[in-house]
Amino acid sequence: MKHFRLLICLLAVFALVAASCGGNDDDDSGADAPDAAPTAAPDDSMDDEMDDSMDDEMDDSMDDEMDDSMDDEMDDSEAEPVATEEPEVDPCEAVDLEATDVGITSDTITVLVMADVGSPLAPGLFQGSIDGVKAWADHVNSEGGLACRQVEVLEHDSAINPTETTNGFLVACEEAFALVGTTALFALDTTDLQSCSDAHGNDIGVPDFAYITTEPPHQCSVVTFATSRPNSECPYSGRGPRAVQSQVGHAQWALENISSDLHGVYLVPSDLPSTIASTMPQLRSFQEIGIVIDGEPGVSGFTTQSEYGAFIQVMRDAGSNFAYTGSDDQSMIKWRSEAEAQGMDVDSITWMCQLACYTPSFLEAGDVIENTYIWLWFLPFDEVEHNQELADFMVAIDDPFPPAWAAGSWADGVLFEQVVNGIVAEGGPNALTRQAVLDGARSLTSFDVNGWWSPADYSTTENIMPCFMLMQVQNNEFVRVHPSAPGELDCDPDNVVGLTKDWGAEFGG
Amino acid sequence: MIFGVRHSVVVATLLATLGAVVLAVLTWKGSQVTSESFLVTTYIGLFLGALWAMYATGLVVVYTTTGVFNFAQGAIGVFSAFLYWELHVNRGWHSILALFVVVCLFAPALGVTLDAVIMRRLRTASLVVQLMVTVAIMVLLLSVVGDIWEADTPRRVPYLFGINNGIDLGPSQLPWHRLIVFVVAIAIAVSMRFLLRRTRIGTAMRAVVDNRELAALNGARPNVVSSTSWALGSMLGALGGILIAPELGLDPATLNNVVIIAFAAAAFGALRNLPMAVIGAMLIGLLRAHTGAWLDFGPDFRFAHLAVAPLILLFVVVALPQARLEVGRLAHHLRRHERYTKWWEGLIGCGVVILLAVAFSGGWLDFGIWDPGAWGSRELNSANEAMALALIGLSLVPLIGWAGQINFAPLAFAGFGAFVYLKFAGDSGNGYWILLVGLLCAPLGALVALPAARLRGLYLALMTMAFAQAMSLIFFPHPWVMPIIGTGRQFPHIELFGVTFDDRRGFFLLMVCVFAIFVYGLVLLRRSRYGRRWMAINDSQAAAATLGVPVVWTKVVVYAVSASMAGIAGVFWATVSGNVDSVQGFDLLIGFNIVLLVAAAGVSIPMAGIFLIFIPLFKGFGLRLEDAGNVDFLVTLLDIMTTYGPGLMVLGMVFNPRGAIFEMGRGFSPILPWRRDARAEIAAENAQKREPEIGELGIDRPFTPEEVIAIDRRLGILDEVVPKEGYGTARS
Repeated sequence: MKHFRLLICLLAVFALVAASCGGNDDDDSGADAPDAAPTAAPDDSMDDEMDDSMDDEMDDSMDDEMDDSMDDEMDDSEAEPVATEEPEVDPCEAVDLEATDVGITSDTITVLVMADVGSPLAPGLFQGSIDGVKAWADHVNSEGGLACRQVEVLEHDSAINPTETTNGFLVACEEAFALVGTTALFALDTTDLQSCSDAHGNDIGVPDFAYITTEPPHQCSVVTFATSRPNSECPYSGRGPRAVQSQVGHAQWALENISSDLHGVYLVPSDLPSTIASTMPQLRSFQEIGIVIDGEPGVSGFTTQSEYGAFIQVMRDAGSNFAYTGSDDQSMIKWRSEAEAQGMDVDSITWMCQLACYTPSFLEAGDVIENTYIWLWFLPFDEVEHNQELADFMVAIDDPFPPAWAAGSWADGVLFEQVVNGIVAEGGPNALTRQAVLDGARSLTSFDVNGWWSPADYSTTENIMPCFMLMQVQNNEFVRVHPSAPGELDCDPDNVVGLTKDWGAEFGG
Repeated sequence: MIFGVRHSVVVATLLATLGAVVLAVLTWKGSQVTSESFLVTTYIGLFLGALWAMYATGLVVVYTTTGVFNFAQGAIGVFSAFLYWELHVNRGWHSILALFVVVCLFAPALGVTLDAVIMRRLRTASLVVQLMVTVAIMVLLLSVVGDIWEADTPRRVPYLFGINNGIDLGPSQLPWHRLIVFVVAIAIAVSMRFLLRRTRIGTAMRAVVDNRELAALNGARPNVVSSTSWALGSMLGALGGILIAPELGLDPATLNNVVIIAFAAAAFGALRNLPMAVIGAMLIGLLRAHTGAWLDFGPDFRFAHLAVAPLILLFVVVALPQARLEVGRLAHHLRRHERYTKWWEGLIGCGVVILLAVAFSGGWLDFGIWDPGAWGSRELNSANEAMALALIGLSLVPLIGWAGQINFAPLAFAGFGAFVYLKFAGDSGNGYWILLVGLLCAPLGALVALPAARLRGLYLALMTMAFAQAMSLIFFPHPWVMPIIGTGRQFPHIELFGVTFDDRRGFFLLMVCVFAIFVYGLVLLRRSRYGRRWMAINDSQAAAATLGVPVVWTKVVVYAVSASMAGIAGVFWATVSGNVDSVQGFDLLIGFNIVLLVAAAGVSIPMAGIFLIFIPLFKGFGLRLEDAGNVDFLVTLLDIMTTYGPGLMVLGMVFNPRGAIFEMGRGFSPILPWRRDARAEIAAENAQKREPEIGELGIDRPFTPEEVIAIDRRLGILDEVVPKEGYGTARS
């Protein structure tokens, strides 16, 4: 925490200088960029997006929900507008920029985004991740760049293939400064990622700011910092018990507000060992807080809708009033459609799903998914008026309902940006090396994508993001349910349950 | 015979039933079975069966009426379902109109086009070529769907008349859509059986498959009949795809995989019996539904209930009667002019391969961006993967190319080899264990060969496909087989002769050496007694058996050799990436692609391996091109070739059934000074080309005088029967 405060102070000091470089004299906008550095100086476009009352709303909501450290962070950032009144000094002009490490020149910082896109089995799967990183880079470049340099983005398609994923690590090692927005499902071997040499011949690895980390080797890579936290103990041998934290705030809310006697079926996505291992902790945590599980069948992408009839039958036999899928939106659509087809009283059941159901295609299913609850760990896309980072993202991505992958890889970009800005603030733009980035990222104990996401602790892999917000599909729209005020996340520490089990063996099938 | 049923079938059924009961007892979930839950599960099973029955009916109809087993049946359904979605959902057409346009206009047009452009040319092709071409069509259709509709976007096809409307069944409700599917499936099966058995066109369809010329002489029009058959098959595929899509969602891979279940159902009806195919589909549906509802296989066998179809397919194939020896008919592919590669030619060829690989990868020659010597770790990694797949592909040469034993399970053998290596070599990476892998994989090949020895052709293809599917669903996902590890490499770097091959360039060279050894071994094998026997049973089992060739033993040996090679290749394949994705890494489609590429190269030519070695080079070039920049059009071209290339290459087999390498070799060999035979062969062929085409025995039209002369010349009676002034003059 001490390091974090120091970092924030340094960032704030640097922001004072940076903001004055931007040549913008609008006081309000500075408050919207709490981690501002040379790149994050406010500009006119931001002003156009935000209304005058936004800062007040932000202050109110964040004060209510965030812990003390978050308040401190916000307070620090709110001091930034003063910076615009400092004398203008451009730190970039005062320094002779150097090629300080692999992927860095005097003009550019090259990052690589690797995502599973080109598989014949699922073409275009994570294209959103690539789009998100490109949008972030364009946004950063339009605001003056990062560490006095322009950000260049290389793409690599890992193609849902272990070899192509390794190839991506090799490309990053040879040509990029860091990986940003990694969304590869089969990062089974991270040796090349972790042992890559820097420009000085030290085998320190490539900083990897990933969105998702599904496999234990990737989750426990010492150079990987995932915005979608693994919540799991590291190092891990791959077999046997493992300590995992799970987010259960949404289920707790359902127990308190819908019924204290929730019992039902939890669908486990069983195609991959990693999906089982990542789903079972939440299921057992539900039981821990008092939800009775009537059945925990596995589902596959190949499960037909009529086969969901078997799950309906289990619910019918047990008189279930709760239904949760750890799988995707299509799974929930099939489940609910089959329940309708079988003449089940669907209104008596609390249907719940995770981020995977927050898609336009879910809404396209129409009435059949009405009243389904969906929980997120970040503010939804329609709340642009309540968070500047979200507003920037929505403008840059230019899609009224972007895929969640895009938001995740944008968040990776912001994480990378924040770490880089910290280094620059401390040592100047020529202090930027892979080692410095690794050190900076490892010392981050709280990062919340400038208030858009639940804060995460990067000093460990085990601690989960404590915040959530809950929505419900009402009249074919996602409607915020909890917390009721827009721009807020519920960050109660009791939202998290920690358990240690052999998760692979927990699944009954 | 027991009640008219063969002993083997009775015994196999009893054993299967006993096994199923034991399995059910061991894996019983403990759920309470009520009459309500039993009825609902049965209803689900019957509905699933009806869905698969539609596909199975299409397969049986096309096979019965054209003699071609259409692997693209599922892909036709996928394409049609997407087109239906485009018209009905995206463009707002009425569902009936969209259904009519797709099923009654588009699908028949597609079927007729496929027949006219491709299938008609496959009439005399070997079974390998026929199957490969339909697999290529499947791959191409799926690629087109992916390109047109961006298949990653989740889409839903609505139920006909909605999901909420239907008949109340008490404990459950039967939506109209499902009722329609059930009725349509039964109606199609009944009407198709009537069509094939009771109508003139149906009789003509079957007659054309049996003997095209004879049928034509009796008034049938073969081309019209085969086009009708393909149109009908496409219509059934389209209808199946559209009606299944609401159940599965519009996902190409998921929709296409349904056809594998339909294969099992079709095999249940011996590929020709429609009622039995429908019963088979229903049986699979019921088994899958009840298995999913009542049995718990645990996390280690989590895909077991999906393996019902491949297991039934295996069971059916094992229960099939011994294939009869075909006599009285000469295979068309007997007209070959093959030459055994001399031992020193093979030695020189393999030496050249190794030298080139060393020169290229060592950077001794400078080829700019084309120079593999300048490759980085990434290019070498890709090259190593492709090289390992080429090794796996080489194992198919003796099996498919020489012995004519179709095998869609090369990856299953390779995976088994990797598994054996993992268990014995462990963390040591000791390369000497690879030899043991070769020895231990041979019995697995022999085990597969035992039922294969009784079968041939299409059943063999289906059996190996079921074997591959069962292995990928049951064996490989088990954590004991490929244990998940927390960090590092699952498969350590190979250590051989005191050298650890942890350097990618060194590992590439090691694999090139292994590749050369494989190729040279094949050259020698082909010259051996076994090589000649394999060729003999491929040409004619009856003739080979008559000459004293032990057919069963010969098949067992070739399977063992192939499995042994694939197993060794599997060790290298697993070691390239260090970690194997135990779920998707053994997907049947990957195995299909390997077989496709080898077939396109020329699976019967040992030196076709040379072609496969260019795959890594080609892949490396692509990566270098991307880096070179300013070559967007080349990168785009490469993308297109990557997507459509394998399929198009295999389609090329329609014109060059023996593969690209065979044709390349024919073009190259006359240049070699000692190949007088090649030059003479080319000269003879050129002389023959100058003669007019004879046509189909004068059925379509009368012979011209030139054609009569050509026939007489081929019969060697030209001088005796042709007057000096020629036919035309004499008749006039």
